[in-house]
Amino acid sequence: MKYFKLPDLGEGLQEAEIVEWHVKAGDQVKADQLLVSVETAKAIVDIPAPYDGVVAKTFGSEGDILHVGEPLLGYEGEADSGTVVGRLEGGGEEQADSFFVGAAPSTREHLAPRATPAVRQLARRLGVDLSGLSGSGADGLITRADVEAATQSARDKFGGDKLRGVRRSMAINMARAHAEVVPVFIAGDADLHRWTQARDPLVRLAQAIAAACEVEPVLNSWFDGKSLSIRQHEQLDLGIAVDTAEGLFVPVLRDVGARTAEDLKAGISRLREDVKARSIPPQEMMGATLTLSNFGTLFGRYANPVVVPPQVAIIGAGGIRDEPVAVDGKVEVHPILPLSLTFDHRAVTGGEAARFLKALVQALEQPEG
Amino acid sequence: MSNDKLSLLEAVNLALHRAMDEDANVVVLGEDVSVNGGVFRATAGLREAFGFKRVIDTPLAETMIAGLAVGMAAQGLKPVMEIQFMGFIYPALDQLVSHASRMRNRTRGRLSCPMVLRTPMGAGIRAPEHHSESTEALFAHIPGLRVVIPSSPARAYGLLLAAIDDPDPVIFLEPTRLYRMNPQALADDGKRLPLDSCFTLREGSDLTLVSWGASVHETLQAAVKLQERGVSAEVIDVACVKPLDLDTLEASVRKTGRCVIVHEAPKSCAVGAEIAASLYERALLDLQAPIQRVTAPDIPPPLYRLEQLYMPGVEDILAACETVLDYA
Repeated sequence: MKYFKLPDLGEGLQEAEIVEWHVKAGDQVKADQLLVSVETAKAIVDIPAPYDGVVAKTFGSEGDILHVGEPLLGYEGEADSGTVVGRLEGGGEEQADSFFVGAAPSTREHLAPRATPAVRQLARRLGVDLSGLSGSGADGLITRADVEAATQSARDKFGGDKLRGVRRSMAINMARAHAEVVPVFIAGDADLHRWTQARDPLVRLAQAIAAACEVEPVLNSWFDGKSLSIRQHEQLDLGIAVDTAEGLFVPVLRDVGARTAEDLKAGISRLREDVKARSIPPQEMMGATLTLSNFGTLFGRYANPVVVPPQVAIIGAGGIRDEPVAVDGKVEVHPILPLSLTFDHRAVTGGEAARFLKALVQALEQPEG
Repeated sequence: MSNDKLSLLEAVNLALHRAMDEDANVVVLGEDVSVNGGVFRATAGLREAFGFKRVIDTPLAETMIAGLAVGMAAQGLKPVMEIQFMGFIYPALDQLVSHASRMRNRTRGRLSCPMVLRTPMGAGIRAPEHHSESTEALFAHIPGLRVVIPSSPARAYGLLLAAIDDPDPVIFLEPTRLYRMNPQALADDGKRLPLDSCFTLREGSDLTLVSWGASVHETLQAAVKLQERGVSAEVIDVACVKPLDLDTLEASVRKTGRCVIVHEAPKSCAVGAEIAASLYERALLDLQAPIQRVTAPDIPPPLYRLEQLYMPGVEDILAACETVLDYA
């Protein structure tokens, strides 16, 4: 409602008596239309409407005295919004104003583990879940000692023996290799019927690998996954996986391509003995450019051996066995050497690996001497 | 007027009508409050309803208005004084600090000072200098003063009635920017809201957003945005910045472990600092991340061209939320 107030009628008069209303609530009035007649001390004055509108309410009845500034008549509609300094944004979506006095109900059910930020940090580092702990401090406060005890008890719960030495290195290196390398595995067979003595293939294998490296030298490379760079080697330093009771050893046979069969044979026996005696110097087990696992001497046909970075491939030789082979439409029995090749597909293509394996097989299938 | 949709401004007006109607000791005084109905029309219609003697226009003299209110209150009236804009309040500080706040203490309980000081607060209405302050911390620091800031029509109505009932001085700050925003249905039922409680506007589990005054508006918008990202934010309107309902704040932060405080006042020594310090005292062991404050910078409110940069915006709030959520 907008108010029309009794105006100053002049001559210092502060009040007037209502004589007669000419409009009533609900009337549509026009500007300057006569609203009410009032009597002052001096005269009867007719008061006109200040503007168009619908009368919502009249104040005072005939005979009542009104003071200047008091409301005389109310128009329908919104009140005068004021002499605002600045600008008020109005409207906006109507929001249902629902709120809880004080805390929300869910806060009362909450019971979190209590720990200082430093202890939380420790728990995060040690991988301890605080919600599973009961604190030993005041009011259930989880202490540093509680977190440390929790890690200890997690270890105790599993039990077992801690890995040491070679086995520990194997666990770490294999996990690292598995996390990094993109391995692809292919297999093939070498027919050894031209060999006179076909039961100790290690020297021939080493030589054949050197021959295959001549064909596809990329297999004899190191690859760095972080900088994505590859380094091809001139000579073949072949790591030879040796099984011992203590674990896996991989001594390195140096510059295989440049050595004679006798030299290689002597070198291999020396490495084996050194490993057996645990007298092999650490540098003799470092720097292999390619690895051979001759697991067939134990058991097994094919395998997918693990490529250990920075090397890009590993060859597995299975056990030699007599197998029926089709020769010119007839079945003959030949000694067959099963070969496995795992390569890191980040550094080596499938074609390179297949050509390498083919070259390896061809070298092995040559007659001795 | 019941069940109409009312703005915060109309809710204030409605509460004033009701309080004056219920208690003949309630008087309203201030600059332009009577004949003009107040610069924003918060007191419109009061003089028509209750007459000159209870709705008093004063000279432009804030010290005098506050002094009058203190004297009236000490003698048994319940004055509701208006300071036209919060930036004009400083001349009244001496009366508030030296007399109103300590009347009860000074007289050992013989006298009290049941007055309410109403004033519009905050920026965002494109006003000139001195019209956009948020200095609630000045008053919150004074023992003996209550400081109340509503952020919705319903809370303005219920809190103003409670403030007028209260036997001690209450500074009642009305966010000007919200005066006409989001009108809502409001029954004139005379129900009071507690003066010593926060209001939880939105229940959540991942972090607690704490705000008051006009910034509650942006804080709620931020909570909606967070919900779209799958983050459940609890929103608490502090409403009574003195005394603080720390129990509610503590309980919420213990639940969520993360807290962002949003206010329009400059950062240094503001109420946000008090809340953060209190939460560190009480709930450190449950915190998952450092408490963040989103505030205006430590400068006077700028003229309106820069006003939107001055006030904390939804994006500022979301950035602070990301900071606290990043602590896994």
